[in-house]
Amino acid sequence: MKRAAQSTETPQVGRSVPRLESWLKVTGRAEYVHNLRLPGMLYGKIFRSTVAHGRIKRIDVSAARRLAGVHSVVTGEDVRKLIAEPYYGPAFHDQPILALDKVRYVGEPVAVVLASDLHVAEEAVHLITAEYEELPAVYDEVEAMTSKAIVHDVLKPAGTFPDLKHMKGRTNTNIALDFHLRRGKAPEAMKTAARVFEHRFRTQQVMHTPLEPLVSVAESTDSSLTINTASQSPSFVRSEIARLLGWPENRVRVRVPFLGGGFGAKLYIKLEALVSVLSLLTKRPVKVSLTMEEQFFTITKHASTFRIKSGVTRDGRIVARECEVWWNGGAYADIGPRVTQKSGFTAPGPYDIEHVAIDSYALYTNLPPAGALRGFGIPQLVWAYESHTDMMARELGIDPVEFRRRNLLRDGRPQATGTVMRDAAIEKVLERLQALMEWRAPMDHGSGTVKKGRGIAIGFKACVSPTTSLAMVNVNADGSCIVYCSTADMGQGSDTAMAQIAGEVLNMAAESVTVVHSDTDVTPYDMATLGSRSLFHMGNAVKLAAEDALKKLNLLRNELQLPAEAPIPEVFRKKYGMQAGNVVGTGSYIPSYKSPDANGLTDNATPFWMVGGSGAEVEVDTETGRVQVRRLVNVADVGTPINPKIVETQLSGAAIMQLGFTLFEKMHFDARGQLRNASFAEYKIPGLLDIPEAMTNEAVVAEQKTGPYGAKGVGETGTFGVSPAIANAIQDAVGVRLTSLPLTAESIWEKLK
Amino acid sequence: MAPFELAEPGSLPDALALLDAEGARALSGGTALMLMMKAGVLRPKRLVSLRKLGLEGIDTGPAGELRIGGMTTLRALEKSELVKRHWPVLARALRTLSNVRVRNVATVGGNLAHADPHMDLPPLLCALGASVGLASREGVRNIPVEQLGTGYLETSLRHAELITILEVPPLGRRRAAYLKCTTRSADDWPALGVAVVSDFQQDVRIFVSAATDKPTRLKGAEAVLKGKEITPSLIREAADAALAEVHIESDMHGSADYKKQLLRVYLGRAIHEARSAVH
Repeated sequence: MKRAAQSTETPQVGRSVPRLESWLKVTGRAEYVHNLRLPGMLYGKIFRSTVAHGRIKRIDVSAARRLAGVHSVVTGEDVRKLIAEPYYGPAFHDQPILALDKVRYVGEPVAVVLASDLHVAEEAVHLITAEYEELPAVYDEVEAMTSKAIVHDVLKPAGTFPDLKHMKGRTNTNIALDFHLRRGKAPEAMKTAARVFEHRFRTQQVMHTPLEPLVSVAESTDSSLTINTASQSPSFVRSEIARLLGWPENRVRVRVPFLGGGFGAKLYIKLEALVSVLSLLTKRPVKVSLTMEEQFFTITKHASTFRIKSGVTRDGRIVARECEVWWNGGAYADIGPRVTQKSGFTAPGPYDIEHVAIDSYALYTNLPPAGALRGFGIPQLVWAYESHTDMMARELGIDPVEFRRRNLLRDGRPQATGTVMRDAAIEKVLERLQALMEWRAPMDHGSGTVKKGRGIAIGFKACVSPTTSLAMVNVNADGSCIVYCSTADMGQGSDTAMAQIAGEVLNMAAESVTVVHSDTDVTPYDMATLGSRSLFHMGNAVKLAAEDALKKLNLLRNELQLPAEAPIPEVFRKKYGMQAGNVVGTGSYIPSYKSPDANGLTDNATPFWMVGGSGAEVEVDTETGRVQVRRLVNVADVGTPINPKIVETQLSGAAIMQLGFTLFEKMHFDARGQLRNASFAEYKIPGLLDIPEAMTNEAVVAEQKTGPYGAKGVGETGTFGVSPAIANAIQDAVGVRLTSLPLTAESIWEKLK
Repeated sequence: MAPFELAEPGSLPDALALLDAEGARALSGGTALMLMMKAGVLRPKRLVSLRKLGLEGIDTGPAGELRIGGMTTLRALEKSELVKRHWPVLARALRTLSNVRVRNVATVGGNLAHADPHMDLPPLLCALGASVGLASREGVRNIPVEQLGTGYLETSLRHAELITILEVPPLGRRRAAYLKCTTRSADDWPALGVAVVSDFQQDVRIFVSAATDKPTRLKGAEAVLKGKEITPSLIREAADAALAEVHIESDMHGSADYKKQLLRVYLGRAIHEARSAVH
């Protein structure tokens, strides 16, 4: 392992420590599940549904079974022999390991072929046929509210979340969760407002596209199961697999090495239940690795519709806001109901509005499931409320920055839920954005066929709560240190950050600290690596664990009558007579939280707020509608950065990802729910040439007082403002307002011609 | 992907013999072939690699024509000093053709034989008046590139026939431009490609691609422009003629109406670019 030695004279936090694993990665030696091969391992290839909604009449696997080299073919009925109720999910137990009785979207896994040779398995999949009795299907999230086509006959909430209990046993509905918030009297206030604005916005279904597609390997004995998986949530995988099998958790071991990107695609259970069952049925290790293209049929980002209405006073104060949001969750709820509520309550935006009404609905449809994608619903909301804000400012003849400033939610003021804002640098982000965009300077709007414009947008997010992280810090007899935590490093640099925090407490160079990857037999519980929660929650847990280890070391020094500055090896030598023993510190962190009441109100909705704003300068070709983003500025409140370089790259990475969702990424479905562009020739993600030439990513000077060394999460913040900032800039350039993503050249040209 | 046999013959006659079999396909760079095989669209029994036939190389012929071996990579063509100097329009077009990883392995012959209408080289080569040399067990023949593409992924190549050489005539007094327009990411397949090669007197050749199912000559537009002073109204007239003579359908790159607008705009821009080109 090549790691630079670094002195402990400089502080460990606040230093741009190069990522600890970078040498392993660039030399091809970092561990990924994709490279894992076990003796006797079978490969599984999935046969998928070709209809969007239908009863399974017959699955004929005989020809596939006969193909030379095929070990076996497994269907949902085979799974049912092992597990009577083989349905999983974090919010609802609605997703079968393989389709049972019904299929609910095109691409749903129906059967699996197993073979020692992956290509034989793939070949055999083509030999499977299935017959369905087609049922009416529903694809649009608003239609799903009243559609006669019902995706699930009975709703089966998982029981994990108290606010889903009332959904249990409901029939004849596609609504998986309805969240309502009422603060003040929005309808009455709307009537007395000087001006009322109402708009409707839409976002499209898109995909995470991690560089490493989903992959899991399971090996089993009669009484134990080891799952090697590219997962962001090993602890959840363990408990959910244990629940499905009726086993205690100590018989299920979940190991997670590095992930080649996650972005929310690898959360909860994806392939883990499938490979577990396949391994238990065949008594062989089984690997399922999806192709890039199969990911389109596994997990996506919610399409959404958002109706937003605001009442504004004569002097440009927003006094009332109504938000109605419909989330297209696809055929299985995944974490959609959480998105509906946990993001839903921020739908009115970072503004100080007295009267607020929010209705947010999670809908089942016959499309591939939607879950969390870098922002957990927030980019969909910011897209709508910041487009709406700009449209109102223009109508009112108020400068868009000034209009926002007039209505801004400031520290110490209550947000829609009633939770008082603390350590949320909304104002600073807006002011810094204005400065970096040189907003006060006049803008050249271009000439001829090239028009120029600029726009800004600002959004915020509440970290999902309540969630738990535990960590252990082990100090060896030679003074070296190992951190045990279940946070998955999926490229965001969590290993480095945790090493920096432990190093800071123990006065060791971060480069010298080892971080052990998730292994549920070894590393303690963590809720998951999601929603920008890990640096705050796990960071706090690691800090507590390191402090605990330090305390124990100091107790030992005391006991052994050694001076406080006695080197660690000396402490152990004196205690054990040789270089032996170790000290283990533990830490657990869960923030306080209060569930919302019947009106959706609570005075403690979240442990911290993330704030992100973007500014865009665009050029629009008036003959073709083509947009060039010339400059993109992203400003964020990330608290106090632990690693400034990683903060910057997280902000830019998130913004570039959102740029693709803004300008061209879109899953196109035909009238029968068939994805028309399930390939990367037809589904385009941004390349180097799509990145704006001028890009600024900046964290404002801020502190999250409850965070480890003042820090908070940063993984998603760069996504918030990008889409509306570009839409606002397009309107500034050519006067065209788009209300639906992506912002294609053709849709601009349609309005220009 | 179905199992297949991989043959790596060392001579052209051997390769042609191996190709003359049921389910045999030629393998050059493999960039398109592998995608089609992975998607299950193509299931060859035998791949015949052309790597060891000595079909790569760039030089000029007796009439000053550019001679490019069929197995020359796109990257070699892009980087060739000869090409940069005398056919700069080719080097320019290659810079934004797919990406450098593809250009490093994809070959000129494979590119032309694939006949995907979204490719950049075919319309440009057609406009330049290029021709290809074809070899089969029956012998060799030479046809204009214009006659190679017959439809979407369809060519006039015969069974077990290979593109061994591409010949591009010298530009002479002609100047050339190729413009494309992508409607999604910058490195997307184009929604439209337009190639214009003209001496801006009597000689003008214009081809459109991507929006059409094969590179299509715009004879009507050429007739409008021939021998005339280029003016904005003449370009509008040429665009009207172009739109009247091509069939454009909607697809995921854009609606037919939008792609017609792109043709209108990019035809004018390509004419201007060719006029101001050094070559």
